Amino acid sequence: MRGWELFWAVSLVIAGVSFAGITVVVAVRGIGDLREMFSRLRARREKAE
Amino acid sequence: MSFTALDWTIVSAYLFASVAIGLLGKRFIGNLSHYLVAGRELGVYLGVATLAATEIGTITYMYNAELGYRYGFASFAAALISGLVMIFVGRTGFVIRPFRELQLMTVPEFFEQKYSLGLRLLTGMLVALGGILNMGVFLKIEGEFLVIVSGTSMKYLVWVMCFVLLLEMLYTVLGGMVSVVITDFLQYVLLSTATILVSIAAVRAAGWGKIVHTVSSTMGLAGFSPISNPKFGITFLVWQTLLWFSVHTCWQTTAMRMFSTKGPEVSKRVMTVTGFIFLGRGMLPMLWGIAALALFGTGAAVSGIPQPVIHGQTLAPLDAMPAMLAQILGPGIKGLVVAGMLAATMSVNSSYLLGWSSILSQDVILPLRRLAGRDPLSSRRQILVNRLANLFVSMFLMFWGLFYTPPGAVYLYLNITATIFLAGAFVSVVGGLYWKRANTLGGYLAMLMGAAGAIVPYFFLHWNETLAGFGAFGLAAVGLVIGSLAGQPAAPAAPSLEAQ
Repeated sequence: MRGWELFWAVSLVIAGVSFAGITVVVAVRGIGDLREMFSRLRARREKAE
Repeated sequence: MSFTALDWTIVSAYLFASVAIGLLGKRFIGNLSHYLVAGRELGVYLGVATLAATEIGTITYMYNAELGYRYGFASFAAALISGLVMIFVGRTGFVIRPFRELQLMTVPEFFEQKYSLGLRLLTGMLVALGGILNMGVFLKIEGEFLVIVSGTSMKYLVWVMCFVLLLEMLYTVLGGMVSVVITDFLQYVLLSTATILVSIAAVRAAGWGKIVHTVSSTMGLAGFSPISNPKFGITFLVWQTLLWFSVHTCWQTTAMRMFSTKGPEVSKRVMTVTGFIFLGRGMLPMLWGIAALALFGTGAAVSGIPQPVIHGQTLAPLDAMPAMLAQILGPGIKGLVVAGMLAATMSVNSSYLLGWSSILSQDVILPLRRLAGRDPLSSRRQILVNRLANLFVSMFLMFWGLFYTPPGAVYLYLNITATIFLAGAFVSVVGGLYWKRANTLGGYLAMLMGAAGAIVPYFFLHWNETLAGFGAFGLAAVGLVIGSLAGQPAAPAAPSLEAQ
């Protein structure tokens, strides 16, 4: 039982740390992706019109 | 402890901002591809945000916390499998890479490219049935969460459900995938912040030592080992592995994100990074459920697990986590957390509304028109059909949510309704992509035997979910092999009319 407890504790730490870390990275760099998507969609729509 | 004025202000500000930003998406809708797959313009980070936000909702927190409450740390196995399978799919490109290369907009579209229009129609109907039944319990459970955490009376539950649904419909119907992606980004940041805050608060309130001790004293080894737990075992673990492979490759809302990326390599990276998020998506709310057991599990034991009791009132295990949050979160933080959970709710429901309504319109209504010899619809008319399908799905969700309560753990109900179509779809997709002999007869048998294998044992014979789910995948595989060996090999998949 002690082995399982340790295994889940380590898994939980990895899960929590990666969840928090990825949130920060995506929050910062996702804005650039959003801007790029808007400009491409706008350009395509203008071209179609 | 009820909501304060500060909490209501935070939640109202979020709702206003979210709907206003979502409505911006309508500006960018030029054709059907913009509406359904955002013009295939998603980069890695936006792709991760929208995929994670789509698959993390209040419903996710509720069913995972319930699993943690009922089965302790052993439930972590389900979360671990979901994350590891996703990372594997992302690293290898298994199914998602060829899918993206075929430029699909829906999963059943592949069935026409590889097999036949008739099989696409059958798959579309089964996907819509399983998906809408699956989503049918979302609204009520999410409504319960919001009512309990905010301290509102249960008599307002239906109004809360209507309000949440109307807000989601407003921007999803008008702005399609572009609106969903924009709001998903905001919602992802907010829901992740709320997840981290609640995890810290739950461990602080219950204490790690007490959490471990409670599981140990109430469940023994079964609370830690998924193999020793009578609810799980090896069969459950194998079924979960198959199920998560099929979810990460063939689940319409997940697949739509892969179809929306800039290319196959981007879709692989999005899947890999989101795999790590999926570890936390499962384990963190399961931990909240275990913390609720440690803090409030003092009632009479049902199936060996003490029921949660708060202020002298006995609750269902499903409601233990929101009741705990109502107790341990202070003013301001509670508003932030509820705004985060609302964000999670809206991001999931808006994507699911779009996903299942797109299946109804693209893979049921349009193939029926073609089979009847009617002319193809223009892009504008197809968007209109999508919007009407969206309204229909929304109405059904209200009805089903009010009148149906799943027996047993919600997580397992969701798994088995997903298996109705995932067993056959996954087997047929893998066969269609990687086995030259796979043919239309095999595809039909796989879809029908997979659906029957999930529906008959679970809804009519009342077998447990694990047996029904595992059996459905087995039957689907047998159906594909027998049908394919009996008939002629099909031609390789080629882009369909929609993709061209």
